[in-house]
Amino acid sequence: MSLISLKNIYKIYNVGGEEVRALDGVNVNIQENEYLAIMGPSGSGKSTLMNMIGCLDTPTSGLYEFEGEMVNEMDDNQLASIRNRKIGFVFQTFNLLPKATAQHNVEIPLIYGNVRRDQRKNLATEALESVGLGDRMHHKPNELSGGQRQRVAIARALVNKPSIILADEPTGNLDSKSGQEIMEIFDSLYQTGNTIILVTHEDDVAKHAHRTIRLLDGKVKEDISVAA
Amino acid sequence: MFSLFIENFRISITSVLANKMRSLLTALGVVIGILAVTLMGTLISGLDHSFEKSMEFLGKDVLYIRKYEWFGDKEWWEMRNRPNIKIKHANSILERSQYAKYVAPVSEWYTSVKRDANEISGVRVTGTTGAYAMISTAEIEKGRFFSSSENRSGSRVAIIGKDIADNLFENENAIGERIRIGNYTFRVIGEIEKQGKFLGMFSLDKQVIIPIGTHQRLFTRRGWTGINVRVDENNIDNATEEITALMRQFRHVRPTEDDNFALNRQDPFKQQYSMIKLAIGGTGFFITVLSLVVGGIGIANIMFVTVKERTREIGTRKALGATPKMILMQFLMESITICLFGGLLGLGLAWGGSFIINQYFPSEMPIDLALTALGLSMFVGIISGLAPSYKAAKLDPIDALRYE
Repeated sequence: MSLISLKNIYKIYNVGGEEVRALDGVNVNIQENEYLAIMGPSGSGKSTLMNMIGCLDTPTSGLYEFEGEMVNEMDDNQLASIRNRKIGFVFQTFNLLPKATAQHNVEIPLIYGNVRRDQRKNLATEALESVGLGDRMHHKPNELSGGQRQRVAIARALVNKPSIILADEPTGNLDSKSGQEIMEIFDSLYQTGNTIILVTHEDDVAKHAHRTIRLLDGKVKEDISVAA
Repeated sequence: MFSLFIENFRISITSVLANKMRSLLTALGVVIGILAVTLMGTLISGLDHSFEKSMEFLGKDVLYIRKYEWFGDKEWWEMRNRPNIKIKHANSILERSQYAKYVAPVSEWYTSVKRDANEISGVRVTGTTGAYAMISTAEIEKGRFFSSSENRSGSRVAIIGKDIADNLFENENAIGERIRIGNYTFRVIGEIEKQGKFLGMFSLDKQVIIPIGTHQRLFTRRGWTGINVRVDENNIDNATEEITALMRQFRHVRPTEDDNFALNRQDPFKQQYSMIKLAIGGTGFFITVLSLVVGGIGIANIMFVTVKERTREIGTRKALGATPKMILMQFLMESITICLFGGLLGLGLAWGGSFIINQYFPSEMPIDLALTALGLSMFVGIISGLAPSYKAAKLDPIDALRYE
């Protein structure tokens, strides 16, 4: 059974009386411990597909199965719960809470997951150490460099031990050196058994992945796997 | 759920502290509202206290037979033409009334009291009999009341109030000492405990009590006379009726004529007082409601701004697994925190204000009112935070994440 199975996914918007097909019959299966890049020019539907996979959005029609659960039938609360437990998000702009310490930022998903305080602290520490920020736990985002902020965000994505890590242009706001460091973290996360989905338009980023899906006009244009 | 509550509280405090000036200005309406309601409560409690004490002085079972009505719509000049109250009727009432327990004739005159070079002017000089001690609620603190023989013989003995004792004798023992009341020398035989002010107007302690016979000879020609009757508390209405009838009989008032005397009680004071209280309470209530409504609108407004400002944060939180309800609670909590902060500030100011009020008459801020005020500010927080929080909860996570 696939970890993620998208069957005949359509997402249709109505913009000023005109029908826009952001996703136009997409079929994708993702297995456990895949390292996948979703690529495509802007307007190709890659953001929509990412939101769909991330359970931020539901399809207009089609079936979305996530570990056997039917996502397309879920209400807001169920979607929130599946995002909380099974998906770790990494954003281009980091999206950390500016007034909270690194540790507190990492604890946020655990708070929503109703994890006890002492346990939360341990898990957050563990996650921050795994991205090499064990000594920056009590720093606030404005006291950290861009690369460090993105590492906090990765720790936050990891802390709930999610089924997939979904990264949207994770290096887009970083210089090339920091970007390289971030990609190394993703590589090692993949090697320790995580499933990673990158959304990017940079070939340099995409080449880290072992499978690339290219979208164009809401359709899968190519789906190439490279032997690891 | 508890950790979420703590988290929300943390967020609220951080947010309030991050925008100190904005929070303060936003909460101002609530501050004023809570200040108004608590100050009003303090004022009323002080008035109550002072009123109770004053009413205690009058006694709820005492009828005051006087020439003038204390309250009512009778014309002053009409009452002026009434005959004066006669001392001899005191005895007649005691003999004939079945409800009267103690009857004391009372004459009053104001003059100065001196000891050596010290002088107090405007002291109330009350002439009465031994029965007065049984009618008055004030206790003799030192010494004694005068005996009936002293009363009959017209001795020049005096019982002094606390103001007189404090001012003329300070730390000395006044008993046995001599003072001059008007132009006459009296021997002090007793001292009355402190009674305070009557309705905050005049001191009850600025008085001397002397035998009525003495008073008649020396002062009464210029003062007034009345009769105080202590009656059975449970039969005060019957007693009023009976004594009115007796007085009419003594004074030969024809059935067609109105009473030519007044039978005063503390009750009308109470009616008058509750009207004053209602006026103060009504004003305070009006100010409170008005400022809370205006304040609440201000808070709702600023909460809409906050939700707008933090749209991306809301998106992030939703992506990380916050349900709509959790987001709703977060912003509701923030709105409540601003209101509680305003409420506490208002209470703090009111607490300071109550000290100032306390200077004028003894009062304290009622605890239950303070708690109600805090509850009220929470309520304002919930009401005004509801719409903005609902808006935040309903935000689409994708739009929120994309919001610049």
